[in-house]
Amino acid sequence: MIKLRNKATATVTKFEFIRQIKKPSFWASIILIPVLMCGIGVFSFFISSDTASKIDQYNEDSTIAVIDKAKLLPEQAPFIVNGDLNDGITMVKDQTVDLFFYIPSNFSESKEIEFYHVSEGIDIFGSESNAIRVILNQYLSQNLDEATVMAITGNFSVADNPLTNTGEPSNALGRTIIPLVFLIIFFLFVCLFGNRLLMTVVEEKENRISEMILTSVSAKHLIIGKIFAMCLLGVIQILAFVIPAIILIFIFRDNAIISQILSIIELDPMDLILSIILFGFSILFIIGTCTFIGAISPTARDASQFIAPVIVGTMFPLYFVQSFFVQDPSIMVEILTYFPFSAPMALMLRSAFGTLTTIQLIIGIGEIALLSFLTVHLTVHTFIKNAINFNIVFPAFLSRKQ
Amino acid sequence: MKNIVEIKHFRMDFSSKTVIRDLSFDVKAGEIFGFLGSNGSGKTTTLRALLGFYTPTSGELLIDGKPYDPEHSNITVGYLPEERGLYRKETVLDTLVYFGKLKGINDPVRWSTKYLSRVGLLDKSKEKLEKLSGGQQQKVQLGVTIMNNPKLLILDEPTKGFDPVNRRLLMDIIDELHQKGTAVILITHYMDEVEKLCDRAILLKDGVAHAYGTIPEIRRQFKGKTLDQIFVQVYGGKND
Repeated sequence: MIKLRNKATATVTKFEFIRQIKKPSFWASIILIPVLMCGIGVFSFFISSDTASKIDQYNEDSTIAVIDKAKLLPEQAPFIVNGDLNDGITMVKDQTVDLFFYIPSNFSESKEIEFYHVSEGIDIFGSESNAIRVILNQYLSQNLDEATVMAITGNFSVADNPLTNTGEPSNALGRTIIPLVFLIIFFLFVCLFGNRLLMTVVEEKENRISEMILTSVSAKHLIIGKIFAMCLLGVIQILAFVIPAIILIFIFRDNAIISQILSIIELDPMDLILSIILFGFSILFIIGTCTFIGAISPTARDASQFIAPVIVGTMFPLYFVQSFFVQDPSIMVEILTYFPFSAPMALMLRSAFGTLTTIQLIIGIGEIALLSFLTVHLTVHTFIKNAINFNIVFPAFLSRKQ
Repeated sequence: MKNIVEIKHFRMDFSSKTVIRDLSFDVKAGEIFGFLGSNGSGKTTTLRALLGFYTPTSGELLIDGKPYDPEHSNITVGYLPEERGLYRKETVLDTLVYFGKLKGINDPVRWSTKYLSRVGLLDKSKEKLEKLSGGQQQKVQLGVTIMNNPKLLILDEPTKGFDPVNRRLLMDIIDELHQKGTAVILITHYMDEVEKLCDRAILLKDGVAHAYGTIPEIRRQFKGKTLDQIFVQVYGGKND
């Protein structure tokens, strides 16, 4: 439990917390908005036009090796190598080749090709594994009619066996789950609390309480108290989701999918710590930004014109979510990773999908931490000077004229 | 007597408009000081600058010898602003208790109950503020202002909207605080209140002091006229 040394801050925190939690709208938003957002998220994911195009792509610069025990491909093909399964795996471990496919001798019955490659991220589109489909299409069509080629290539699966850089079996999906949980909670926090944070600061001005309250308590204690209250409400929000989720997981723990997910969850202590730090500073940054907007705006209506771009900016990486799966991120992804508003979500996505080095993650966390303290500091110093202004007033250094 | 408020060569510009040109006065500990002027003459601006809401263009505004900061001030200040408002969705008692805790008073519930009883609002203690009339809300605000026995009490038109009975009640409360040694800065358009309560006063016009001193001194400056007459003479048709 947070120990609040300052009595005024504790008083503001308690008052704001109780006031918010008494509101039916708080509980309604906790239940309704996440359900809606999840629905929209799933819908947009499936209709994304980029998805289809990504499926047929793989990096043509990748070096490929195929061990073909089923003798489907010509022996003189450049990627064909002799040996057994372990030889191929060794080639991947040694990084002699990027992608290794093993076509077993019983392929006509099993209809499965094994695929080995080094991957620290997740390849949900199977873009790399599609290399074998392209190869089979290309070489089989030289000797076989189209119907036969289709019968072979259109009806088999590729068993993906990603390996880590050290050659161990990779559990990228398992490592993704915990960071994704943080990302979902952050997403919900922004949706649920962005406007509420803003209102809690604007309210004193709208209700003409600013002067009375600021002669009773300093702006610093008032703002910090409000921020603590919002954080506590955030905890309530998290518990409102996590507790039912745990109960449901416990009830359905014998379900095949749930037990499989539970079995692959991987908790790397360092990843977990960095995820928690990133999450904490991201929340603080959003709180700082929203309260700053509240501090410079005389009314909620004035503030709303600023808050919408902030929320859209924060959510922006989600519009390009597929780009964050790719191991070699584009310039756009790099920009979104360090652009202030999109940085929290972009860092969480890349951290989850393993497309970010630890150093990059630490730099990103540092940037967000700096921005969060800056926005909170600005809020405190702006609030008192704007407490009774009826126009939007930026801090002195941001405006030419005060 | 010690000065509790000192304002020295205060000037306040808003963009190209000068609201206060050069204002200097002081308020002594324990006195009731009338701060007079027509609407828009800069009284509220001066008080807001005194309390740190505005940064003065130039000059010094000091409470107990230093710029006011509620966190570091050695004296307690109560301020009933011109802009009135409270947390409308909260109950009367919760609001008073909240402010009582912020101001650090002992047993805010007991104090609030006693105050509500005195101003005839005890039966409304569990009501939301939005359900109260304007005058009733104003009594709650007054309670918030005086609850910490302020050494400096700043009242910006405290009797505006009060009926004569409640005006009398408020005057009694101000007088009680005065007896306990509280200095009061009173902005009002009721000159009878000034004559009855104030030890000294200042008349503000066009951003400068037009008259300043004890009530008898000000009256002597205007050949023995009453404050009402002086007000009309100074502000002509400007006052409403």
